[in-house]
Amino acid sequence: MSDRPHPVLIGIAALVYLFLMLPLVIVVGAALSDTTYLTFPPQGLSLRWFQNIFEISAFRRTIVTSLQIALLGTLIALLIGIPAAYALNRFRIELPKWLGTLFVLPILVPEIVFGFALLKSLTVGTGAPIFLSLLIGHTLIVLPYVVRVISASLASFDFSIEEAAISLGSAPVKTFFTIVLPNVRAGVIAAFILAFITSLNDVSVSLFLTGPGISTLPIQILAHVEQFFDPTVASVSVLLMFLTVAVMAIVERTLGLTFLAK
Amino acid sequence: MTARRFWRRSGATGWALTAPATLAVIGFLIVPIAAVIAGTFMDPRGAFAPYIAYFNSGFRTTVLFRTLQISAFTTIISLIFGFMTAYVVSRAPGKLKSLLIVAAVFPLLTGVVVRAFAWLIILGRNGILNQTLLSLGIVNEPLEMLYTQGAVVVGMVYLFVPLMVLSLVGVLENIPKDVLQASSSLGASPMATFWQVLLPLAVPGLIVGAVLVFTGSFTAYATPQLLGGERQTVLATLLQQRAMVSFDWVGASTIATIMTVITISIVLAMSHIARRINPMAT
Amino acid sequence: MTQPLDINAVSAHYGTTKVLEDLSLSVQAGELVSLLGASGCGKTTTLRLIAGFLAPTSGSISLGGRDLTRLPTHKRDIGLVFQNYALFPHLSVLDNVAFGLKQRGIGADERRKRAMAMLERVGLAPLAERAPGALSGGQKQRVALARALVIEPPLLMFDEPLSNLDAKLRVDMRVEIRQLQRANGTTSVYVTHDQEEAFSISDRVAIMNAGRLMQFDRPEVLYRRPANTFVARFVGFENIIPLKVVARDGDIVVAETAGMRLRLPQSLFGQIPDTFLLATRPDGLVVSTDPAAEGLSAQLGLRTYLGRAYQYQCETPAGHLIANGSLTTPLEAGTNVKLVPMPEQCTILAAEDAR
Repeated sequence: MSDRPHPVLIGIAALVYLFLMLPLVIVVGAALSDTTYLTFPPQGLSLRWFQNIFEISAFRRTIVTSLQIALLGTLIALLIGIPAAYALNRFRIELPKWLGTLFVLPILVPEIVFGFALLKSLTVGTGAPIFLSLLIGHTLIVLPYVVRVISASLASFDFSIEEAAISLGSAPVKTFFTIVLPNVRAGVIAAFILAFITSLNDVSVSLFLTGPGISTLPIQILAHVEQFFDPTVASVSVLLMFLTVAVMAIVERTLGLTFLAK
Repeated sequence: MTARRFWRRSGATGWALTAPATLAVIGFLIVPIAAVIAGTFMDPRGAFAPYIAYFNSGFRTTVLFRTLQISAFTTIISLIFGFMTAYVVSRAPGKLKSLLIVAAVFPLLTGVVVRAFAWLIILGRNGILNQTLLSLGIVNEPLEMLYTQGAVVVGMVYLFVPLMVLSLVGVLENIPKDVLQASSSLGASPMATFWQVLLPLAVPGLIVGAVLVFTGSFTAYATPQLLGGERQTVLATLLQQRAMVSFDWVGASTIATIMTVITISIVLAMSHIARRINPMAT
Repeated sequence: MTQPLDINAVSAHYGTTKVLEDLSLSVQAGELVSLLGASGCGKTTTLRLIAGFLAPTSGSISLGGRDLTRLPTHKRDIGLVFQNYALFPHLSVLDNVAFGLKQRGIGADERRKRAMAMLERVGLAPLAERAPGALSGGQKQRVALARALVIEPPLLMFDEPLSNLDAKLRVDMRVEIRQLQRANGTTSVYVTHDQEEAFSISDRVAIMNAGRLMQFDRPEVLYRRPANTFVARFVGFENIIPLKVVARDGDIVVAETAGMRLRLPQSLFGQIPDTFLLATRPDGLVVSTDPAAEGLSAQLGLRTYLGRAYQYQCETPAGHLIANGSLTTPLEAGTNVKLVPMPEQCTILAAEDAR
């Protein structure tokens, strides 16, 4: 009954949400403006700045690279992260505790330091191709999300179900795919999405791992902003937001939105 | 039969399953970073020469203190507003609550570059804020808001408030309802319950949130780069300049080491404190 | 100090679900009343309404003549013992107990003295400085009890306080609760789903079902004279036999079911209506192998061993009945017997809500 917070608190929370939403609304408005400079509210509605994105080859290329890296990096992270998350939960007693900490290290150490370290030892040290370095870097920064989200799913998984399947004659590996994995499906989807978006938005690691001809979209945006002050970047931003909304809609359909809050 | 063999091998199976991820983290993260750190101690001028050089440079120490200052401001502001907002969100009725959570998740999933860029449009010399202030006659000349410490802090708060809100909503929801009800049944007014029960129980969560925001803003790159520029150089932007513009590998490595040491020590110290004072632990 | 509680025609609806319908209940000063029923019967809702965590849709609640209905919880002055103890994890045992005193503006020294005295009474004084997390379930429950008692509330309420304890401790704790309650003479409301617990601890018990009060009386009355079939089944009258009076001969009433006749002494039951239900526990039906015995013919089914007796599932023309038989002569399934009701172990129910 008397659960309702003080009106002043409600007012402050409303202002905080306004503070969170307004800048994004402004970006959308600016993207739709017909002017050659950034302005809000938009003067004359036009989609020409969206068209402009695809006319600038640097944007075209980096969008493709970013999507490639995000998809590949996420898949590799799932490939090595799912078995790790499974083992951490299933063999909790047999495996040392620090192993769990090891997999969160990539978000514990400053990302920008990690990017620099990779540049120094991998790209410069071994002469590895830039695309490969970029892929390795992104795989590692999304690995903690994969391990943590799937671990959380597995934590509520009753492993006696797996034992029941094995006792009924199902081989362990087959059991993993037919019994365990379907039960943590929601976790895998959430991990995929979180990892994909994290990779797509990454700046700090990519900053060092770009080179002639290869760059990611956020790095290209940074470079563009420093030279031009036209609505192209606003349009790219809207495109990225649109992608985020699409992803959230998929999550909503499959898992319910509150899932993301965890 | 199969099951029995499976059980007996379990320890080894566990190691085998974690091996690829373990090797990836060791090979591509720990070794390269260890190499960066080790490199700074193998300077021909002496083991600590790069650090002596760093702290002898007025500019670089200023950058370090500026970074700490910006992070501290960001953390405090995010903590205060994040907590108040999280409190309101956690008390909201079901439907509204999930809507508010989504509204906090959305900016979080929008990239840092986009979110910094939004403030570039707002705070610029010809930006929306200046246009508004000019047209309202509040100022006669556009204010120089960009490339100030305030601009960086605003951008950072914008970056981290959603994170703070979400993590604190989790903390507040984890406080059992019946403990709060017990408090009011014993005659505590809503204010007394807040100060004497809710807040003390939320402290470990507040510490975790603060660490998250502090280390995040301490190492952020895109926001200070776009909103602070060269005038508000921070450690992250300095590191990038040293490495990519000046090709000063030793200097960059020194900055990287300082950032790593500070970040890891804060995380370890605070998680130790949070664990020690966490009353829910047992 | 101690005050009567009056619940007056209270209803509570969540949206369209009626959780509580027109409940009226008076608890006398110093009395301990249990609210007993299965989960979802409305007993916890009633407690939360009295505590002020919920607001009734209609009706009123008053304590010692003071209307509580619109008062926020913290002004109601009610001691509450929670199912999960709800101890403050960040405060020591002593500070937990002193919390309510602090809210009442009592000075630190006096607080400490009174809280220590209360901990002494529940036997936890040596643990005063411990954190609640370090205590066992029984100790936590004692702290919760001390915390509620120390503020000397005019009303004390218990929400399934023993359900998280093991069986042995449960029995010890309920004796302890009853003794403390008696000693203080505090009016108390005790919510439980455990019939034995409710009967053993209470002055009166309110049996609830589907948001309604089914019967409110002393345990002895509930146990021997349930008012309706719901309460009868609830307290273990597993056999309910519909009967029709065919003859009345002085004190003896002859009643018939499925062609079988029973004789019942009217003086035991008061007025017996023309159609009624005869309810007995399995103990009240004697299994007789004498074909001449006057009772219900039955064929025995599954036999189970209860320790004090054998129990038989029986098929009779009047339906499925359960009877207990002696330990000396176990009978095989399929045996044809007579089931003879023992009048002093039976009760009579009105026929309106048959089955």
